[in-house]
Amino acid sequence: MLSNMLGSKNMTEKDWNNLLDTALPDVEKEMDASPFDTKLSFNMADDARKVINENLNIKDFHKKYHSKLLKEFGEEVGQDFASGADEPAQETDGVKWGMVIDLRKCVGCDTCTVSCKAENRTPPGISYNVVLEQEIGDFPNVAKVNLPRPCMQCEKPSCVQVCPTRATYKLKNGIVTIDNDRCIGCRYCIVACPYGARSFDFGESYEDEMPGYNDVTSPEYGIERGERKPGKTPIGTVRKCNFCLHRLERGEEPACVETCVGDARFFGDLNDPNSTVSKLSKSPRAFRLKSDLGNGPNVIYLK
Amino acid sequence: MATTAVAAPSARVKAKQSKRFKIWIGFLFLLLIAGGYFIVERLVQGLPVTNLSSITPWGAWIAFYIFFVGLSAGSFLLSTLIYVFGMMEYERIGRMALFTAIVCMIVALTFVLMDLGRPERMLNAIIYWNVTSPLAWEVHFYLVYIALLTTELYIAMREDLVRLAGTASLKGKVAKWLTFKNSTITESTKKRDHKWMKILGTIGIPLAILGVHGGTGTIFAVVQARPSWNTGLFPVIFVVSAMVSGTALLLAMYIIKKKATKQKIDHGMVVSLAKMMVGFLFIDLGLQFYEYLVGVYGLEHHHLEGLGTMMGSAYSWSFWGVQMFLGAAIPIFLVFNKKTGTNVNALLTAAILIVIGIIGVRFNIVVPAQIVPLFEGLPAGDYFPTFNEWMVSVGIAAMGLLIYTFGEQLLPIEEIQSSEKTEG
Ligand code: SF4
Ligand code: SF4
Repeated sequence: MLSNMLGSKNMTEKDWNNLLDTALPDVEKEMDASPFDTKLSFNMADDARKVINENLNIKDFHKKYHSKLLKEFGEEVGQDFASGADEPAQETDGVKWGMVIDLRKCVGCDTCTVSCKAENRTPPGISYNVVLEQEIGDFPNVAKVNLPRPCMQCEKPSCVQVCPTRATYKLKNGIVTIDNDRCIGCRYCIVACPYGARSFDFGESYEDEMPGYNDVTSPEYGIERGERKPGKTPIGTVRKCNFCLHRLERGEEPACVETCVGDARFFGDLNDPNSTVSKLSKSPRAFRLKSDLGNGPNVIYLK
Repeated sequence: MATTAVAAPSARVKAKQSKRFKIWIGFLFLLLIAGGYFIVERLVQGLPVTNLSSITPWGAWIAFYIFFVGLSAGSFLLSTLIYVFGMMEYERIGRMALFTAIVCMIVALTFVLMDLGRPERMLNAIIYWNVTSPLAWEVHFYLVYIALLTTELYIAMREDLVRLAGTASLKGKVAKWLTFKNSTITESTKKRDHKWMKILGTIGIPLAILGVHGGTGTIFAVVQARPSWNTGLFPVIFVVSAMVSGTALLLAMYIIKKKATKQKIDHGMVVSLAKMMVGFLFIDLGLQFYEYLVGVYGLEHHHLEGLGTMMGSAYSWSFWGVQMFLGAAIPIFLVFNKKTGTNVNALLTAAILIVIGIIGVRFNIVVPAQIVPLFEGLPAGDYFPTFNEWMVSVGIAAMGLLIYTFGEQLLPIEEIQSSEKTEG
């Protein structure tokens, strides 16, 4: 029969389903055989799917099943579930975005710089990311080293410390943002950033070389600003790399990570001990720029 | 006698004076209009009219801002010598010092306003006060300080305002409006005024030293990213150089005004003020010496480069030429030389040179530290103010001088009758 099926292209969807049903154990029977409540398990599974699809709030889910679970599993398990209703553990252990850049893989092609400019539509004179090139050693033992430098999204950012208006601040996910609608353009943060990661938007434009440049401003921090016009925010305020927050929000990696030719950039959650970035950051090759300053960069390099 | 010259100047002298006054005012207005054109240009076009960049984000306007804050703090501290410490030999310049301090603050804040990328949002620094930001603290300190200065000046002038309120002149009308109802001078009001002057002055001393000028130095000193700013001595040097420039400015203003109005100059006071000015200058130089010594001794790469940029690069003319030669060596020579040390004109030159020297000091603080790249591989800064930046600065300074001049016309900034004063 199997050979027959494989050979046959006439199998309908129903046939496939039947095959699956015979292969898989019957869930209802299995649950009945178990010491647990069949109906409860089915309902919970249904609602859990709703939670995943964001049709149901996780807190409501907890509320709904709290008492039933207490009855079913007794104090220990049930109580755990109840305290989970406030999710204290989840709040503190949310994501902390971090980046790891492998300097041995970086070929110094500046693709990151270019893709960043395209993604964030940064005006002339502003580059959120730059690749610093340097020759080290004495002839003939010389080497060229490249150092890509985005904003470090510092753990204790100097820029946030000095900003008089709290226009620049740290998000829970570790990204240092700028509220361009509040920034007064005093440029104290530029002076204070040890990594030279910030730029002032003087209002220049590529419109002459690139018609249409002014048509739209990049939706940084998820804010649509429309046309780029003289005197309109973010002109007159400070800008910098924000790990492409607008891309992260729709589940994409930062543009520089995605386009990196040498696959030198890794991106992920530093709070998750199993993420690639966490593991790489523990590598003996890992180091941080100007680590003596106490800024605690969340961009980690591998030497 | 000086007093008779003031009380009843001959018609000829008076006409000559009013002519001079008109020329002075006209000149200032011209500067203000010229500067005003560039201020409008700056406001319309934004900061591209400057040579500022993301590498050197602070420039001439920030240098002038800290310069004028320094002048203000210095003048105020000088006034406290009189009103708090009772050094009455300087009383002639007491109110002048207070009024200068106010005008300098107005000028300084105008410079800050010019420098903001978004001047229309300036109030955000007050509304969204970030308590870890020295700059936000400064904005608050400045406002409290200006309020304190104004109150103090009012009390210092009160008696003269009351006297003037009776007269029909313009000054009299302003005085009447300012004195409200409490227009009496008795022994008890005298005592009360005196007491308040002392209290306000005493509050003002820490406010000016720690809050206003030490605080302005702190804006720079806390920046760890720029090692040549990041020292504990930095705010102290700020305060001392403020004393230098404040004393020099008041000395120069006093002499120039007396000369312009052909009044007698208090020679003894001029000489002793000049000595004090140079005394402050010596302390300032001493502190700077240690600052540089410790910096160099540390052999920290970035710090060395900062000092190197200041003392041995294309920018070093400002350090050696303006700050050290014009602003220190020549004035010290002028004050200590037997011949020039008692000559009013020479002392005037010394005072003016010191003020110019401190402008150099302020530029040398702001600019070189931002020339050195933060990383090897990042471009180095390259900054010299544009014509616009200079002209805006001229315009703002002219505005300050105009405010001062008109203020003096409307308010009894100078003592009116020194004969009466001696009785009180
Ligand atoms: S690198 Fe600079 S701009 Fe980025 S968070 Fe750190 S201090 Fe702020
Ligand atoms: S320029 Fe804007 S973001 Fe930077 S310190 Fe000033 S107000 Fe804050």
